[in-house]
Order: sequence, then structure tokens, then C-alpha cells
Amino acid sequence: MTMQTEHDFLITGSHDEANRQAYAATLRMHVLTDIGNGLKDVYDQRVAPAFEKSNGRAPKDGREAMKAMLDDTYGKTWSSMIHTCQEMLWDSVRPAVERAQPDFNEKVRGLNSKVGSVSLDPSVEVPRYVSASDIHLMPGNYHTERAEDDTSQGALFDRGLYLYQGGFAGPLCDNNGRSQAEVIKRRWPEFKPKKILDLGCTVGNNTLPYADVFPDAELHAIDVAAPCVRYGHARAEALGVPCHFHQMNAEATSFEDESFDLIVSCILFHETSRTGLEKILAESHRLLKPGGMMLHMEVPRTEGMDPYSAFRLDWDTYYNNEPFLSTWMRTDVGESCVKAGFDADNYIHIAAPDLGSVSDEEFTRYAKAEDSATGTHGHWGELVMWNMYGAWK
Amino acid sequence: MSDEIKITPVNRGKRPAFFDDPAIDQLMAIVMAMSAEMSVLYDRVDTIERLLDKKGTLSRDDIEAFRPDQGVEDERNGRRNDYISRLFRIIREERETLVAHDKMDEYNALMDELAKS
Ligand SMILES: C[S@@+](CC[C@H](N)C(=O)[O-])C[C@H]1O[C@@H](n2cnc3c(N)ncnc32)[C@H](O)[C@@H]1O
Repeated sequence: MTMQTEHDFLITGSHDEANRQAYAATLRMHVLTDIGNGLKDVYDQRVAPAFEKSNGRAPKDGREAMKAMLDDTYGKTWSSMIHTCQEMLWDSVRPAVERAQPDFNEKVRGLNSKVGSVSLDPSVEVPRYVSASDIHLMPGNYHTERAEDDTSQGALFDRGLYLYQGGFAGPLCDNNGRSQAEVIKRRWPEFKPKKILDLGCTVGNNTLPYADVFPDAELHAIDVAAPCVRYGHARAEALGVPCHFHQMNAEATSFEDESFDLIVSCILFHETSRTGLEKILAESHRLLKPGGMMLHMEVPRTEGMDPYSAFRLDWDTYYNNEPFLSTWMRTDVGESCVKAGFDADNYIHIAAPDLGSVSDEEFTRYAKAEDSATGTHGHWGELVMWNMYGAWK
Repeated sequence: MSDEIKITPVNRGKRPAFFDDPAIDQLMAIVMAMSAEMSVLYDRVDTIERLLDKKGTLSRDDIEAFRPDQGVEDERNGRRNDYISRLFRIIREERETLVAHDKMDEYNALMDELAKS
């Protein structure tokens, strides 16, 4: 497993804790891929035929496929295991984060910003779609604060995310952001954004690659979760990447009209409600300069997907605490962009694989839409295909 | 607010049970946690062996301070993967039986075809 880049604020824990974390990540990858890929054989050879026999037809969608799979021993065992793996990930990081306090918060508080900045706004309310559940089973979710200037959830997320990705998103857990930034640069080489904003940045792992890909741009990142914004800023400073972090709600930011050339987000939409999403698109429209672009990276939608693949995606909705994933699946993004003020002709939808999963040449062909994408799920460890939705203003 | 931090280990929401008896889900979680502890113990032995190989002696502090480089980590990960495969052999076998069955179908179809020709 590719090791995570160490920085001044990364918490990995003791000798045994670090090994427990590595084991949890390896175990999860094994269950996800080795055992998980067996689900397809079980579905094709056992579950779907049995369904057809008793219903006179094949399962019609993800929901029916899931019900049938969860009636099967293999499906039950896999579900029980992968759910436990997810819990084990967080549990392997939790004690080290707890033990690091209160010194750790103190260290972040005492940080001198050298390349970027951070601004907190306690009046920002965490929307209900964020606060309602512990997304991905992360205890305390993104936003919980247990002490003054708390950063614990940021630290928990940074290490947990790396373990969740099993190193597949690179040592900085930034392949998503890097892939998206590279798609933009390779597809529109003449587009040179001067101000970039990332919405729902969490700890900024997928924000920072924009500083590499567009070194002349000023980079901003916002999130509603204060512990993540504080930690993200400390992390960026430790890595020496200039970025300005703000605690803001993407539905209603305090930036002026037409402030940005490029507005991006990375796997934010599937964690927002429908109205939240519509407000974020309208806000993006307000914040973009004419000629600017917004592009939001997301997991593929299940619409038109075969029942088996839809089952694999739906599973996360129900059991990985992704309550809004299914809302996202039913959202017509093009229509929502028009409603937010964008011209239908300016709508963009790109699907490209992860930068790390194909050769550079192949990646460029996808970026330029010379290769069409074959949709798969966005699970690390499989061929990851990212979908990007957006529009020019 | 105190500066001592306690992250409640359970996340909100009911823990799903996938088996008809939730005790089986609990048992699964216990077995998996145990598998982790065994792996952690193995890594500790591995650290001790590496330190002894290098220095012929060791202290508790040496062990605690030891961190693998990418090479050691890759070695350990290979061992963890083998270990996991052995541990969950029974599940892999269930899948392999299915694949074998599929091959049998192919074989029978071929036989039928040959019988006709
Ligand atoms: C799945 S995470 C995104 C992670 C991050 N972009 C990445 O690529 O790793 C969603 C993040 O969006 C934040 N968020 C959700 N709704 C938001 C909103 N309306 N405004 C700002 N941040 C929001 C959450 O607090 C959370 O940190």
C-alpha cells in the first residue's frame, strides 16, 4: 500500500496503532475486491436465476437486485464484513486522535500562516443534510466540535480517508482533485483561471492539486465544518501549498458577485439535499465571472445502470450512511443547471477515469472526449470512473 | 468545553444486521477484530526480529519508535494479504465453487454439441 505523505499535522499513532490501521485498510480492500468481486458471480449464477425462476423475469433495478442479494448467504456475509471494515477503519484511528489532544489543537492554534490563510465564521450553520447522520460511519461526522478550536474531526478524516482509499488515491489522497484539474487543463488548454474556488473541501486534499495544475491562480476552499477547515489550513501550510480556507456555506457564501473563473467541487453533491444542490448551483452562477466555468465531480448515477451495478452503489446509500446518494441518483443535473441560470447549450458532462488507473495518453484521450466512458462504480480498488457535471457561464 | 477529547466510538443510527440473527453479525465483527489483533502482534514480532537482525539487542523504546519504510510496509502487506486469504478461505471457496460450476455448464454444453455432430 502506497504510504501516506507525512506532514506536521498527520496523526498516525503508536507502533501498534499504525499497524492496526494498515491492517484495517488491507482487510477492507480484500473484502471490497477479492470477496466483493465474487458478488457478481453469485448474482449471475445463483441469485438472478433464482429470482427469474420465482418471478418469471430478471430483477429490474438496483433495489430488486439488492433485496435478492441480501437474501443470499454470500451477500449477507459480504455486507456484514464490509460494514465491519468501515467501523474498524475509524476505530483504528480514533484513540490516537483523542490522545493527541489537547496539545494538537494548541499546535494548530499557534500556527503562523506562511502561504495561505483561514477564516472561521461561527454564525455559519451546518445544514441538516450534513448534520443528520454520521456519513461513511465516521463517528462525529465532519462538523462535531468537542473543545475550543477543535480540529479532531479533520485529523480523523485525513488519516481515515487514506485508509479508506487503501492508498489508491496517492500518498496525498488527491487523485480525484488532480484528475479533475488535469481534465480541465487538457480539454480546454486556452482556459487559464485566475481565481479558483472549491466547494465542500473538507480537509482540502482534493483542493490542493489545483495549486499544482494552475500555479498562477489564487486558490480558495470552503466548508461548513469548522474542524475540517482549521485542520485543512494547517495541513496545507505544512505541505507548503498556498490556499485560502473559509468556513462558509456553499448555498450562500459571502464572496462578491463574479469573484471566480473556476468553481469546482469533489463528491459534494451526493451529500446534499435537492434544494441544497439547487441553491449551490445558483450561488455558483452568481460567483462566476462571465466566461467562467463550474465543474462538479461526482459518482455516476444509477439511471440506466444494470441492476447489479446499481445494487453495489445503492448498498452505500443504505449502509454506509449516504442518505442523499439516492436523491443525487435521481437528479437531472442539466435541468438543475438551467434552473440556476446557466444556458442549456453550455452544459458540460464528462466522464474520465482516475489519473492513476490508466496511462497518461489514455487519460488525455478521455479528457478530450475522444474515448467514451464506460460507467463503473466509484469504488477505490476497481477501475474508477469519475463523472463531472457543470456549465460555462 | 474541556480540552480532553472523547470521540464516541459508535456512530449515530442503528447498526444494521445482515444475518437473520444479529448475533452472527456481532460474531463476525469480533472475529474480524481478533484477526486485526493477531496481525498487529505479528507486526510487533516482525519489528523485534528486524531490530535484532540489525542491532543484536533492543529496548522497548526501539520497538515503539520503529516505523516501516515503503519496502518493509510492502512486505508486511503481502503477508497480511496472504493471512487474510487463509483466514477467509471458506468464503473464497464458495465463490470458486460457483466458477467451477460455470465451467461444468460449459463442458456439458460442449459435450451436447459434440454428441449432435
Ligand atoms: C464528501 S465530503 C467532500 C470531500 C472533499 N471534497 C474531498 O474531495 O475529499 C463533503 C463535504 O462537503 C461539506 N458540505 C456539505 N454541504 C455543504 C455546503 N452547503 N457548504 C459547504 N460545505 C458543505 C461537508 O461538510 C463535507 O466536508
